[in-house]
Amino acid sequence: MTTLELKDRAAVCGVGHSVYGRKLNRSAIDLAADAIGGAAEDAGLAPADIDGLIVSMGTPYGADADTLAQVLGLELKMYSQTWAHGRFAATCIQQAAMVVAAGMANVVACMASLSATGVRPGLSTQRRRRSGGRGPDREAAREGGGGHGQDPVYGIDAPDPGAAMATQAYFERYGATSRDLASVAVSFRRHASLNPAAVRRDPITVEDHQASRLMAAPLRLLDYPQLVDGAACVLVVRADHARNLRKPPVLISGMQPLPAGRDEFIWTYPGFGVAQQARRPYEAGTQPVYRMADMDRSAIDALFTYDGFSFLVWMALERWGFCNPGEAPGFTRDGRIEFDGALPMNTSGGSLSEAHLMGWNQQVEIVRQLRGECGDRQVSGAEVIQWANAYGDSLIYRR
Amino acid sequence: MEAEYEKPLPGVTNLNRPYWEGLARHEFRLPHCHGCGHVWYPPAPWCPRCHSRDTGWAALSGRGRVNSWTVVHVTGLRGFRGDVPYNVAEVTLDEGPRLITNLVDIEPGSIRVGLPVEIVYDDVAEELTLARFRPLAAGQ
Repeated sequence: MTTLELKDRAAVCGVGHSVYGRKLNRSAIDLAADAIGGAAEDAGLAPADIDGLIVSMGTPYGADADTLAQVLGLELKMYSQTWAHGRFAATCIQQAAMVVAAGMANVVACMASLSATGVRPGLSTQRRRRSGGRGPDREAAREGGGGHGQDPVYGIDAPDPGAAMATQAYFERYGATSRDLASVAVSFRRHASLNPAAVRRDPITVEDHQASRLMAAPLRLLDYPQLVDGAACVLVVRADHARNLRKPPVLISGMQPLPAGRDEFIWTYPGFGVAQQARRPYEAGTQPVYRMADMDRSAIDALFTYDGFSFLVWMALERWGFCNPGEAPGFTRDGRIEFDGALPMNTSGGSLSEAHLMGWNQQVEIVRQLRGECGDRQVSGAEVIQWANAYGDSLIYRR
Repeated sequence: MEAEYEKPLPGVTNLNRPYWEGLARHEFRLPHCHGCGHVWYPPAPWCPRCHSRDTGWAALSGRGRVNSWTVVHVTGLRGFRGDVPYNVAEVTLDEGPRLITNLVDIEPGSIRVGLPVEIVYDDVAEELTLARFRPLAAGQ
């Protein structure tokens, strides 16, 4: 039995996004058109060239793939969609890479479009009003419990208390503090200050972080992401196809899928010992994504990660072996993760300061960094960038 | 007991009904495997460790340790808004599984990872008892 060789077989040929912001009062379909149209134009293609669509999220917060095809007049050979939660950006892009490599479609748009704070048709506002507030959200009401440790019966229906408990366990285990965590927020805000698309551009200090209000202790407001409306899209094609298009191709060199099981919990790595994870020493070893890309961590010029909470940056660094368990607070100090630091991370400002689009805005930034399009926040000489998450999935992109 | 319980109710299914019915009788039971002895949460139709369907319900000690905790200052959850700030804890039971719960009889400043705790049957509504935990008295 042979395996399908996918290293460098697919590439991102175009990226696009809408404006990001709270209460834009624009529908998710409207925002999606800006992202899809922008990505097509970036690639020198037309919307009519798109024959595959993979959507992250969808109802109730976003536009669904089949709806987008009908309403926007896309003629799709394939579409698919991941369920109404984040964490699936790499999953979608990996599927697209497989689809184009297998010849099942030629131009696959991968995207999310959210209208989380603005127009959200289809939900009964009348019923919501009558309830006098919201009940547990749909994620929290899942049989078997919410995926972030939610248990509404005991007062948590949102993702943040689960993240807070992982953070607290880490703090007490390694003697880290909220002040240590502040450096992540401060660094990403510096990036956002250099990014016109970011929704929070005013620089912040450690003191600002420490003065921001407690939300789910020990996490403070400045450890939280910018929940916004917006859309972002990447177009995936075969690498040989990409070479004939407008922009230089960004190759997908490595892929590692999203794991699940009792040793996995969205905010931590196996062995960390929260939720139902066993507690045992963790060693990153050589993760499969590096083997597929035929490179090691030393080749990574910048690391991007899902930063829905600042703490996740530490978890990603330790999970992927950029430092050992317990060392991340030291690793993220002194601007070392800034665009001109030792390991640049989330140079758009990430979820914390640019926009929380479940990592989709970060895929756009990665592609632009590898093309050298990032101006004042450009990572010098960026050739290889990794998307790698606390929850265990990854992509390695190279120019 | 509140006249009208406005907090979220558990989603009771055939799988977890014995758990909730047990709590209502002030019995703390979780599924366990007759094959490998594993005890787990949440309830599942087979043992998640060895996949045996030869399973039953075991009475537990009701003791454990705080694995982690938070104090929620902001919630959108109806029924809990009036309670902020309130604690939420993850307790590792002596038998192994972890539960999300709330700690009672303790100030937030005294909560620590590793704190020994024991179950308190909190009868919050008609036929609804929650498994909350309190610090284990010294010497126990």
